[in-house]
Amino acid sequence: MAKLYVKAVPPADLNRNTDWFTYPGVWTSYILILFFSWILVLSVFGCSPGIAWTIVNLAHFAVTYDFFHWKKGTPFAEDQGIYNRLTWWEQVDNGKQLTRNRKFLTVVPLVLYLIASHTTDYQNPMFLFNTVAVIVLVVAKFPHMHKVRIFRINADK
Amino acid sequence: MASAVVNFLNATLDWMTFASDGPSARAVVFGVHIGGHLFIEVFLLVVILFLLSQKSYKPPKRPLTNKEIDELCDEWVPEPLIPSVNKELQYEPPVLESAAGPHTIINGKEVVNFASANYLGFIGHPKLLDSCSSALAKYGVGSCGPRGFYGTIDVHLDCEARIAKFLGTPESILYSYGLSTMFSAIPAFSKKGDIIVADEGVHWGIQNGLYLSRSTVVYFKHNDMDALRETLENITSKYKKTKNLRRYIVVEAVYQNSGQIAPLDEIIKLKEKYRFRVLLDESNSLGVLGSSGRGLTEHCGVPVEKIDIITAAMGHALATEGGFCTGSTRVIDHQRLSSSGYVFSASLPPYLASAAITAIDVLEENPNLIKKLKKNIAFLRKGLSKIPGITIASNPESPIVYLRLEKSRGSVKDDLHLLENIAERVLNEESVFVVVSKRSTLDKCRLPVGIRLFVSAGHSESDLLKASESLKRVVASVLGGHN
Repeated sequence: MAKLYVKAVPPADLNRNTDWFTYPGVWTSYILILFFSWILVLSVFGCSPGIAWTIVNLAHFAVTYDFFHWKKGTPFAEDQGIYNRLTWWEQVDNGKQLTRNRKFLTVVPLVLYLIASHTTDYQNPMFLFNTVAVIVLVVAKFPHMHKVRIFRINADK
Repeated sequence: MASAVVNFLNATLDWMTFASDGPSARAVVFGVHIGGHLFIEVFLLVVILFLLSQKSYKPPKRPLTNKEIDELCDEWVPEPLIPSVNKELQYEPPVLESAAGPHTIINGKEVVNFASANYLGFIGHPKLLDSCSSALAKYGVGSCGPRGFYGTIDVHLDCEARIAKFLGTPESILYSYGLSTMFSAIPAFSKKGDIIVADEGVHWGIQNGLYLSRSTVVYFKHNDMDALRETLENITSKYKKTKNLRRYIVVEAVYQNSGQIAPLDEIIKLKEKYRFRVLLDESNSLGVLGSSGRGLTEHCGVPVEKIDIITAAMGHALATEGGFCTGSTRVIDHQRLSSSGYVFSASLPPYLASAAITAIDVLEENPNLIKKLKKNIAFLRKGLSKIPGITIASNPESPIVYLRLEKSRGSVKDDLHLLENIAERVLNEESVFVVVSKRSTLDKCRLPVGIRLFVSAGHSESDLLKASESLKRVVASVLGGHN
């Protein structure tokens, strides 16, 4: 028998602070932003490709750590404070762990680390910076770090 | 501790570098050189593949144990719904036993009433009473619905047209509750992201409108045009690159909290220089200022179309209830769907709209009322001008004669206590009814508190003389003990 009724699908994400990451093409845009940042750093500083990748990796670390793992809440008043204690990473996909978007966001720092380390031939001090950045970012994204505040760092008042 | 961590980290990194460069790591397996780099890369690749193979799950919410529940319940203290009532601030207002005309009855005794904003003496006016009676006979008591539904009576349209004609504007809109006029009109136009520059002395109805609009509110020093200019300059430079920004100046024509009169001509110059819009509340200036009672615009010689939005309550000079907003057609039409007080409230009872029409007619037929009111104001001010310990803070033309303590007792509470003592004795011993400023916990106004005398054209010279003489006696008696 053919379908007689339209099935209403609830919206995937009601949080306006995180639903942009469910838009089509956001992965491609993310990767392209990183690539063109690398091109930009190469052009501006005229350094070697390895140093440029290191700069991109560290900048990516700084930006994503602040916006995804440090800032809390949403800039929208309609949420009425329901997300005030959650970082962006904890709001993504309504807290569901190991989703496709979360895996993507975890793989990107790892791949950036591989590229940066490989192109700098694993030489210090770039190797040290890259390793620290990738460890901090990946540990913060572990599923069992959900809502965990180590030593009450960035805990609620 | 930190240095130990650094040493550990350095040792680890040295080991990793050594491992990747060690000769033992360069073993040859079937002709392929195995280096440390390859080891790290293969390791990370395995980590990535492992991560991608994981299934997604919702983290389970760990239920609270009974002990945790008990702890949370024990430590929970609900926030009080209202702030605690201080016994010192409890106050029993006097109860009127007759109409609030120039003379009224309190506790069975006739007193001279300076507590009601009956500026033109229209309370109890026979023409207004006749108008209300005939409107009641024709329309009944209430309209039983909002204006947008079936609550529009023809007398509402007549009243709006009459107000617009009287003030010289294209259109006006009626509100059913005078206090809500300003706090419905402000949110109808100003939204989150817009900027409002307001005088710090505005009354609570305007403050509530500023709050409900969710705009960015900047207060400037009370009736200080230099402070206003400085504020507008700062805001203009700060938001120079912001587009789609609405900017408003909110002032009262006659400030309810101080009796000061806004210098509208200077405000208009600043408005045009910095490109702001002006919202003007004329509740205490309608029927009072200007030679024919058209308010602050007539008083300052400013064309009425220079003011973007004018609001006024009709419970003051017009002796009815409700309020109106007047201005250009676009300003008025916008409020018909966007103003909460208009859309969602039942409309003004028809007999009150009819009374407003009649009040304007009587005012236009009797310009002497305004002259009488101005004369009464000047007479009362002269009588009150030399009381030791008390100073007149209001404008010489203001119908609200505002008396303030020359020296504060150090806190608003003590000042209020002292002023209430004066007002109570003036009422009980001298049969003169005056009011002290009331500041609720919601009110953000920081101006000094004082005693307000609302002058009416219906007061006689003997009433005014009695008020000034009795205040002089009581203030000397009360403050004499303190100084």
